[in-house]
Amino acid sequence: MENKITSKQMLADLLDSHYRSALEAKAAGKIVAWATSICPQELLETLDIDVVYPENHAAAIGARKHASEFIEQAEGTGYSSDICSYARVNLGYADIRHSEAGDIPMPDLIFCCSNICNTVIKWYENLAKTLKIPLILFDMPFNHTFEIPEHSVAYMRGQIDHAICKLEEITKKRFDYDKFGEVMELSNQTCEWWKKATDLAKAEPSPLNGFDMFNYMAIIVCMRGKKEGREVFRLWHDELKEKADLGIGPWKDREEKYRVMWDGIACWPHLSVTYKTLKKYGINMVTSTYPESWNILYEKNDRNGMAAAYSANYANRNLDYGTGNVIKLVRDFRLDGIIYHSNRSCKLMDFRQYEVQRRIEAATGVPSVIFDGDQTDPRVFSEAQYETRIQALLEMMENNKAERQEQCKNSKRA
Amino acid sequence: MYLGIDIGSSSSKVAILNARKELAATDVVNMGTGTAGPKAALENALRAAGAAREDIKYIVATGYGRINFGEADQQITEISCHAKGVSHLMKDVETVIDIGGQDAKVIKIGKDGKVKNFVMNEKCAAGTGRFLEVMARVLGCRIEELSDLAERSVHDIPISSVCTVFAESEVISRLASGAAREDVAKGAHNAIAKRIMGMCSRVGYEPLLAMTGGVALNRNMVKLMGIELGQPVIAAPYPQAVGAIGAAVFAYEKSERAAERAAEA
Amino acid sequence: MQEFKESMKALQAAALHPGKTVRLSMRETGREAIGCFPIYTPDEIVYAAGYLPVGMWGGKTQIRLADKYLQGFCCSIMRANMEFGLQGTYDFLKAVIIPAFCDTLKCICENWKVAVPQIPAIPMVYPQNRKLETGFRYLIAELKRVKKEIEGIKGAEISEAELEKAFRIYEEYRAVMRDFVKASAVHPLTVSPVARHLIIKAGFFMDKAKYTALVRGIVEGLQALPEEKCRGVKAVATGLIGEPAELPEIFGENGICIAADDFAQESRQFRVKGREEGSVWEKMAYRTVDQEGCTFLFDEEKPKGRMLIRMTEETGAKAVIVCMMKFCDPEEFDFPVIKEELEAARIPILCLEIDQQMDSFEQIRTRVQSFVEMLNEDVI
Repeated sequence: MENKITSKQMLADLLDSHYRSALEAKAAGKIVAWATSICPQELLETLDIDVVYPENHAAAIGARKHASEFIEQAEGTGYSSDICSYARVNLGYADIRHSEAGDIPMPDLIFCCSNICNTVIKWYENLAKTLKIPLILFDMPFNHTFEIPEHSVAYMRGQIDHAICKLEEITKKRFDYDKFGEVMELSNQTCEWWKKATDLAKAEPSPLNGFDMFNYMAIIVCMRGKKEGREVFRLWHDELKEKADLGIGPWKDREEKYRVMWDGIACWPHLSVTYKTLKKYGINMVTSTYPESWNILYEKNDRNGMAAAYSANYANRNLDYGTGNVIKLVRDFRLDGIIYHSNRSCKLMDFRQYEVQRRIEAATGVPSVIFDGDQTDPRVFSEAQYETRIQALLEMMENNKAERQEQCKNSKRA
Repeated sequence: MYLGIDIGSSSSKVAILNARKELAATDVVNMGTGTAGPKAALENALRAAGAAREDIKYIVATGYGRINFGEADQQITEISCHAKGVSHLMKDVETVIDIGGQDAKVIKIGKDGKVKNFVMNEKCAAGTGRFLEVMARVLGCRIEELSDLAERSVHDIPISSVCTVFAESEVISRLASGAAREDVAKGAHNAIAKRIMGMCSRVGYEPLLAMTGGVALNRNMVKLMGIELGQPVIAAPYPQAVGAIGAAVFAYEKSERAAERAAEA
Repeated sequence: MQEFKESMKALQAAALHPGKTVRLSMRETGREAIGCFPIYTPDEIVYAAGYLPVGMWGGKTQIRLADKYLQGFCCSIMRANMEFGLQGTYDFLKAVIIPAFCDTLKCICENWKVAVPQIPAIPMVYPQNRKLETGFRYLIAELKRVKKEIEGIKGAEISEAELEKAFRIYEEYRAVMRDFVKASAVHPLTVSPVARHLIIKAGFFMDKAKYTALVRGIVEGLQALPEEKCRGVKAVATGLIGEPAELPEIFGENGICIAADDFAQESRQFRVKGREEGSVWEKMAYRTVDQEGCTFLFDEEKPKGRMLIRMTEETGAKAVIVCMMKFCDPEEFDFPVIKEELEAARIPILCLEIDQQMDSFEQIRTRVQSFVEMLNEDVI
């Protein structure tokens, strides 16, 4: 009998082996890097350097409800409770170095890319300083214009070339450009399958429950340049495709009544309650800005293209791009509503949120709510507030639906 | 005699020392700066000490209202006064945790009650007496009853919100979903202990630790603070009046020094 | 003698009334104005184009309109700028330059385009990898792009000669300011902390040539005086800003003397001297390359802690005062690192959390006074 593994099992196994092999590499004296979630990992993969991603680790610690210990540690050493909680968890972890939620090896190298925020520059700068290890920074200037400016591309390309030299120095290995090309190709494929899989949520009902996407995100962060990463998304895609073709929705025990987008990072410590509150009302989160964030596509061996692709991340783009992107999601995924997470950790997302919300509403008429929360600090969330906001959204979506049905009825009579 | 007056935002405290540097009287009036509170506390304390205004040789004022108190010979901050007061009352204490209505502070003290380092809470009610007041209101009890209520708790319920407004709604929803008032009360105490713990880490605390301020009257709070810190914490005697006592000690020392100088001359 | 004290008074008054000062400067010079957001902007280009560069470091106001764009946990300077923009206070400006030194500034620039469309925004992104050749080239390209945008507003080109002249005027301004902070350090009674702050701040609202002449007069006046001894605590101050003015006033009341500062709004603006070599573009770019210990410019070595220790040693300061702007991520990230280094060097630190809109100073007053009591037993 064929023993068919599901993508969910594969996901769990892969994450497990990801962390385990990094710990083993460290124990064997190999170089381990800590890197930001959307960085040119192709360089590290080419040189066979093990990488772990503090953002992903912090999210896991948060989801398993172990964040407080590390947050308190970081705040005890003087970190303000107003800074990013991923940073506080990770900086606390760098002191304590053990978590019930799982361990990561301490780094020999810091790999930081500012396309997701400037905050990571400060955070990683502190790690490099306190751990006395080298830091490679990819500074990706914020794109205030819709297009990525040429001189920015040249600057980023220059940094990639510089990073290659620095990595050769650190690893005392020659950079293998052929392998680099292969990793580029593979990374692109992984991104394509990630996008193709998450795009299947366009089906009605959506075969995908978006909170599952949060889980799979760990792989697009951690294993983008690996065959196993590509395979898991291909498998996930096939599973979702099958469900979509059969018209199977996101849940066995409940129907998808409303389709919404979640803007921002999950509330990891309150993942279950945020999810169940939605499910209770048949609200399925079908997409977010994340599928697009890892849709990093460029031509193999084109380092300028690679630079531009990394710089083109949603968080690094102007309001016009951000708005256009969400409007497209509303239309492509046929959304009934949007939930905006005003995430105390992420000023870069928050301080554009109000304007984005207004513009999306004007352009699409889709109702939305904002709730206060945080990606990993359990203290900044109120279940009561969340529930009330979701109920308000539900009422607006119900009204819209009723109006639409009324219109259809009227049009028939005419 | 020597007098210290601590004029806070919601209460006024007075302490009087006699010529042998012994505590002759203390008084606490629950009205703060800008009210009749300071005057009332002053008169009460004088009466209790059996002294007249003319018997007072030196007055030191402390607390937020210190600057507006015209009768003082000198004004000194409550940080210095708490350190001084605690070391006068309890020789071996090295760290003071003072939790008042609006402010929380952790002070490290050196020999002779000198301040070595200190931190204060940020502009937020979390970790202050105000937080407990809000919790008492939600739980439908008086602030004095909160300690006993928490004592009877059998389950640990974490109150994770830092923001007082959020914590309030968190507590309400906990109660609505059937949590026991006792457990919620204990959770609120623990939430404060955690906030104070953070401040203690920042200042680098050392044993012995003593607690002052109105919240130190809450036995359960003192106990839970000790558990959180993994160190015994003791409540200072006259916890609300420690600042005023420190001010009185300063008044005594100032006056002595002035007398010495006069003698030398 | 009397004359330089008059200048001191005039500059303090100028800083307290930015609107009036800017309008006067515009009238006197016949220049129109362009706003310059924190932290750094290429003011020389603005000046060369014939505009008056005006520093936009917030100010006191009631925040009402800005809430349409920003949550309450946004830094108070940026909320204030947004508020003033929406209220129309800045409508006389021909443009604003908004550099993306932090995540908040990126968003502010994007919001500005929508919220204050009548004042064109010129975004600018300084490189963080400024010490790499590629970063240096990028910075020059970015400076030239900004020049083009200003030329578009002006409707005429800016010549290289004009730019060189402007750069010289700014270099002179910066040199005189360096002299000013040195002279104030040894005359802490004549130049109180609040006077020092306001005199430096006035430069953001005035024509630099005129302003420099006034400050030079003050420096010469101070140099002619005998040195004064600090009677309280001599301290080095750091942070984004040392505002509102009540703050340095409280320092003064408690006998704190500012021996040197590392404020983004003060010394960081002028402590870097331009290099001699290269084109005027390279000279401007080198000033960013050579800036050390700035919170907003990446440096793997993070030398700020060491720099502050060196500053205390050189000035004989006894303590460091950190004015921590609430919700300023970059500054908040730097704090634990400098705290550890200063503690290891046994330098006492006073960290004050500040907010430009704050109007209750009781807790700050208590902290400052306690700190002085702690360091200076003579006061109690």
